[in-house]
Amino acid sequence: MADVLSVGVNLEAFAQAISAIQALRSSVSRVFDCLKDGMRNKETLEGREKAFIAHFQDNLQSVNRDLNELERLSNLVGKPSENHPLHNSGLLSLDPVQDKTPLYSQLLQAYKWSNKLQYHAGLASGLLNQQSLKRSANQMGVSAKRRPKAQPTTLVLPPQLLLSACWPCPQASSLHGCNMAAVHPVLTRYVDDVISRIDRMFPEMSIHLSRPNGTSAMLLVTLGKVLKVIVVMRSLFIDRTIVKGYNENVYTEDGKLDIWSKSNYQVFQKVTDHATTALLHYQLPQMPDVVVRSFMTWLRSYIKLFQAPCQRCGKFLQDGLPPTWRDFRTLEAFHDTCRQ
Amino acid sequence: MGVTCVSQMPVAEGKSVQQTVELLTRKLEMLGAEKQGTFCVDCETYHTASSTLGSQGQAGKLMYVMHNSEYPLSCFALFENGPCLIADTNFDVLMVKLKGFFQSAKASKIETRGTRYQYCDFLVKVGTVTMGPSARGISVEVEYGPCVVPSDCWSLLLEFLQSFLGSHTPGAPAVFGNRHDAVYGPADTVVQYMELFNKIRKQQQFVLVEEYEENPTSHRCVVGKEEEYINNLFR
Repeated sequence: MADVLSVGVNLEAFAQAISAIQALRSSVSRVFDCLKDGMRNKETLEGREKAFIAHFQDNLQSVNRDLNELERLSNLVGKPSENHPLHNSGLLSLDPVQDKTPLYSQLLQAYKWSNKLQYHAGLASGLLNQQSLKRSANQMGVSAKRRPKAQPTTLVLPPQLLLSACWPCPQASSLHGCNMAAVHPVLTRYVDDVISRIDRMFPEMSIHLSRPNGTSAMLLVTLGKVLKVIVVMRSLFIDRTIVKGYNENVYTEDGKLDIWSKSNYQVFQKVTDHATTALLHYQLPQMPDVVVRSFMTWLRSYIKLFQAPCQRCGKFLQDGLPPTWRDFRTLEAFHDTCRQ
Repeated sequence: MGVTCVSQMPVAEGKSVQQTVELLTRKLEMLGAEKQGTFCVDCETYHTASSTLGSQGQAGKLMYVMHNSEYPLSCFALFENGPCLIADTNFDVLMVKLKGFFQSAKASKIETRGTRYQYCDFLVKVGTVTMGPSARGISVEVEYGPCVVPSDCWSLLLEFLQSFLGSHTPGAPAVFGNRHDAVYGPADTVVQYMELFNKIRKQQQFVLVEEYEENPTSHRCVVGKEEEYINNLFR
């Protein structure tokens, strides 16, 4: 802390100035003492007056001398440097009680941490922007200007699909302004068709479609007697999945599909994470129905969740979990830790 | 209710029941299991009253009334190879009213008490089987919550059992073989416990036979065991 003040301060002159202040104080008090004492006892009145005035003058002169000395020294002391870069936070560091209020050290740590965070975030955004992460084929920017802000954003399907689905509709010609794809009745029928086709594809998997919250479809997929999956979709794109056990309750108290609560079992929480990875992995902007089909094929491999041993280590259990990972291409079972 | 396997752990050589239980629980805790309270499963035996047997001379059937602390509001009533009824706790009061038809075989109450451990999705219960004041054996129950079809996850359960029971790992319970793809239920667990209790009772059979010779009117002997007594007499 002394470092802050050391620039431009003459410590010796400072000490001398302090003693000069003490000398000045004592000479001033001598003046008042002399006034208080009054005249000394002498033979004649004149003698007494002269002695008093001489004494008084001496005292005043010593005060004057001391004041001049102090002024001289104060010019030598100099000012503490004002250009320390910490400004107000630097004043915090002057607080001597470090263990009760470690404000300055905490402040420094917070500052360094936020700097590092900003740096890493900049690096990450640079890396992420190198690859396009959009799952749909259309740009969002064009239609955003025409839409009022209150309407929720909807994913627009690729134009070929839209045209083929909307051919009887007179609005199909003005595709440019057709951002109401998600609410278009023909398209919802198309989504229903795709889902029912997939439902018939696999015997052990049954898919039940409902639209309790507007136009986005919610699927309840039951896979044998192993698990149940709730899939929330946005037109034909899979948005979110939750995997729960066969004996777990998937409905809320009002009877609606519960799309938020997680499973009670760790194995199904792990499978939910893998399913989310899968729905991001299977991407084909031009053909979203193929994407849904591949996702369902991948999901179907979980029928043997408890029966298949891990292909890498050969065991059933690792940390109490069965092999929960299914390879995206070969559909083989692996433990989460045996993946690569 | 997930697939459950109930088995008996033999008492280690030269150790008491308490010490073996402690060995097991230590092994479980080393595996990483967390203690989660206690459990209790008890069983009372009733036999059909002689007045209802009729002149056909059919052997009286044994009925077991069991409670499981996992389902505190329920009461299970089952016959040995017959159906299992799941009722609420008022059933016990009903049995008192049915004294004319079902007589309680006194001093036949057997129960197992112990601690529950949770390891990932497995629920392990290690209990001491007691009949009256004396400890007769050790019961180990392992439940795998996520799976409800027994044939699916038997290999998985077996691997887990081997990790902490070692050489004392049991074979597949009989209830698994009965229903292949049917969903497992609490009644199946209770049937397994009943079989375990019967096995432990039979282990004490020789003691009972000698007692019967001394005191034929002792009501500790259950009607259905007369055949076994006769076999033992003419060894």
